[in-house]
Amino acid sequence: MNARSIAFSDDMVGLPLWLTLALFALSLLLLLIEMQQKERGGVGILLSGTAACIICALAVLRPVIVEAKTSSVGPRVVVLVDQSRRMLLGASSSTRYDRALQAARSVGAHYKDGRLSVFGFAQSELVSLNPNSPPSAALLDSSSDLVTAFNRGVREAGERPDAVLVISDGRLARPEDEVSDDTLKEAFAGVPIHTVSVLRDAPPDASIRHVRAVGAAVAHQPLSLTIDVGCQGLKCNDIPVVVRELRDSVAPAELARGKVSVEGDLGSVSLEITLDRAGARVVQVAIESPQGDTVPENDSRYLTFEVSRDRVRLLHLAGRPTQDVRELRMWLERDQSVDVVAFFILRGDGDNPNAGESDLSLIRFPVEELFTQHLPSFDAIILQDIDAIRYKLAQYLPALAQYVKTGGGLIMVGGPSSFAGGSYAGTALDEIFPVEQPRGAPAFDGSEFVPVYTPAGQGAAVTRSLRELLNGQLPSLAGANFLGAPRPGAIVLWEHPKIRVGADPMPVLALGEAGDGRSIALAADSTFRLAFGDLAASVAGRSYGALWDGLLGWLMRDPRYEAARVELAQECIAGVPAQLRVTRLPGMTGKIAVELRKLSEQQTQSKSFNGGKDGESTSDIDLGALEVGGYTARVKIGDGPPTRHDFGCEKGGEAWSDSRPNPKLLERIAHISGGKAVNWDEPNELPPVEMTQIVAERHTSPILPPWGWSVSAALLLGAHWLARRYGGLA
Amino acid sequence: MKRRSLLLWAGLSPVLAPLIAREARAFGQEGAFHPRLMLTGAQKVDAARRSAPSRWSWEVIRRTSSPARLVVDQIMTDSSDVLHEPFLVWVGDGNIPALTPPELRRLRQYFELGGLLYVDDSNPKEGSFGRAARREIQRVLPEASIVQLDSRHVLFKSYYLLDGPAGRVTGPSHLDAIIRGRDAQVLFASHDLLGALARDDSGTWTFDIEGGASEREMALRFAVNIAMYSLCSDYKDDQVHAQELMRRRGRRQQ
Repeated sequence: MNARSIAFSDDMVGLPLWLTLALFALSLLLLLIEMQQKERGGVGILLSGTAACIICALAVLRPVIVEAKTSSVGPRVVVLVDQSRRMLLGASSSTRYDRALQAARSVGAHYKDGRLSVFGFAQSELVSLNPNSPPSAALLDSSSDLVTAFNRGVREAGERPDAVLVISDGRLARPEDEVSDDTLKEAFAGVPIHTVSVLRDAPPDASIRHVRAVGAAVAHQPLSLTIDVGCQGLKCNDIPVVVRELRDSVAPAELARGKVSVEGDLGSVSLEITLDRAGARVVQVAIESPQGDTVPENDSRYLTFEVSRDRVRLLHLAGRPTQDVRELRMWLERDQSVDVVAFFILRGDGDNPNAGESDLSLIRFPVEELFTQHLPSFDAIILQDIDAIRYKLAQYLPALAQYVKTGGGLIMVGGPSSFAGGSYAGTALDEIFPVEQPRGAPAFDGSEFVPVYTPAGQGAAVTRSLRELLNGQLPSLAGANFLGAPRPGAIVLWEHPKIRVGADPMPVLALGEAGDGRSIALAADSTFRLAFGDLAASVAGRSYGALWDGLLGWLMRDPRYEAARVELAQECIAGVPAQLRVTRLPGMTGKIAVELRKLSEQQTQSKSFNGGKDGESTSDIDLGALEVGGYTARVKIGDGPPTRHDFGCEKGGEAWSDSRPNPKLLERIAHISGGKAVNWDEPNELPPVEMTQIVAERHTSPILPPWGWSVSAALLLGAHWLARRYGGLA
Repeated sequence: MKRRSLLLWAGLSPVLAPLIAREARAFGQEGAFHPRLMLTGAQKVDAARRSAPSRWSWEVIRRTSSPARLVVDQIMTDSSDVLHEPFLVWVGDGNIPALTPPELRRLRQYFELGGLLYVDDSNPKEGSFGRAARREIQRVLPEASIVQLDSRHVLFKSYYLLDGPAGRVTGPSHLDAIIRGRDAQVLFASHDLLGALARDDSGTWTFDIEGGASEREMALRFAVNIAMYSLCSDYKDDQVHAQELMRRRGRRQQ
């Protein structure tokens, strides 16, 4: 389109222009004042004077004719579509996200002349979005931050948009519902924001809105959970709530139960739970779904608590006092992080102390109390050379096995009354130990031997300190219990140089997992030679502590003795491919093998995944899409012992905890920024945005050449002078 | 000869002989209580007390669940054998020459590993061995100070509830000791415990006891307590025992 206009010379802008205009006005004013003194010919003086002033001014301003070729461009409109996972909640027959995409398409049609940039926004980055080809659910995030999205899309963008359009349900993480108008004005100043609400009415739903823990989770210490339950559109009075810990291969442990009284649409209850095992523990918090609940998925949350350990509480049982018992006792006592409860059998049935009870310091071995009442309070049990039948442990072995399966640790240290020699073979502990226990005599071999590190033992973090301290050497040990073949999944660290189990060397030190717990079998009763003896003296006896630091550390899942650090690469959402991030600890080489199993009472089928390359410190292992529930992943690097990581997988997670839309917040944002709020099916109600004119080509040509203006001004000034003379003015 | 393993038959009845032979090689015996005799310089074990360590072990076996070595080693102080187990007995009845540098070094290593040394003065009335042993141990552990252990110490409740140390000689009601952290490194006794334990070839007690048979029984009990302390450390100081032991102590005092 061509346009023609008149303008002043390009160099007459700013001060020169205003100065010229001021002089022009001043000249006219003086002319009018002088007119009062005239004697005659007033009209001529006025006309000639005015004309002279105008021409003089034009001689300075030198007007030009401007011819321009212009085009009109559509307004720039930034469309921000909420991509929180919350948008996958239902809205009538579709989802909120479907509505948002439909609204984005309708907006495109409404602003067909506009230049639309459509972005998805959630927690941080803006992502370009094609409403006709939306991303998979995997790209959706757990919450939506409109303030950050606005800054990225408007303030940091090159061309300032003429309008911003927000399509959401209004349940934003930022700005929050309670934010003041002033804060909203500050956050969204400069550009009108039109909002499109995808849902106005909250669905009938009861949900766990928040679960808050007061303080950190520490094993054996009560932890207060505050559970907020929301309810709208339903009859909710007292809603039962239960907290369970999910465990591997055993029934979930109910940690707490209570009722939430809902007043208005929100209720809260505080429940105290105690987690006895350290590490990542999956806790399910569930409410009983009221009738008519349209979003049952948010009635249950699967939360992963990283339970730390203040002190390791350990039960040390020894069948008789020996130097091996002494050394272990002294090492445990020296470790300030260990709280030991010890019972040593000092007097057997055949012993004759030649004294009455009052002269003895012996107390009854409280086997019943220990194994019925106090067992769960211990992090680990050490059984050292204690006969199961003679000291009445046999009847509690099923409870001990269950204790290990539910997360406890068990170490059996060798001796004549350990393993089969202590009548443990063929008991419930068979399925707990990492090795089989051969039945029948003899139960042990008395010949001296130097144990040999297996390849797993040479690479395991659990033996690293010992290997480094003794340069891979081990002292000679005085005999060993006979052990059988390692159970599937067990790791043998030391083996016997001569005794064989079938074709393989007999395990001497082996680690294994059983359910949620871990167990260690040490078939020798003379590891005190790591504290006393020539080899031990060469390192001031520190080798004993190095062995037991590793064993107890591994049993207690101390990260220093694991092969790897394992975590989820991102929140696990059911149906969305999950990834496990595995970071190798120094010195751990080999391929990564992951065994994934659902935390369930039943022995569920495990899935195996492989990945990782040598030299790659961190590897992401694809686990595929998982169902809702708790999972345990056992990550094995090379031949080393596995590292376990438990995690929960939820349908909606935090994003689905509050299903209520918040159209009022969207209306406030629109109102404060000068925009308009509409519903998702009313895009035509959005105000139009004016087209922008763009000048493509511009030509200027002077109306008169500069000398023409000068001559004209001189002539008119001369004529004015004559008129003034005629009128009697000077 | 750095190490002399002697089967100390003296004082043991012939009935024990097969038991000794069988026990000595069995699995589980390596960590047994073993009152090894430590010899310095040209020191020799007093023939009259040679049977005492085996008798000590025998009493431990008879009265407790602990295994014990009836075949007791004699260890030269400068030998690396000192470092092989955590319990040593140093017995003597007179002044002794100063420990040689290798002996000092070896004992320092032994204490560094956590070993326990029981010093038994066979002639406490004269006390020259006790004084000499204190002098030499102060050279081994110059930083350490000697403290008194009274009947409240765990040593006196590690198996029997005792009011104090006992032996052939009544002696003081306390033990001198060097303590590191919670554990004793050295126990200095002035009661001739080995004298109370010793038997002659005919199986009768070698020495009479001040206080008679009941005092000998106290000496045997004290020996068992030392053995239990060497094997269990401060186990009887654990909280689980506290209430019951306090009750029994109270009852005994009544």
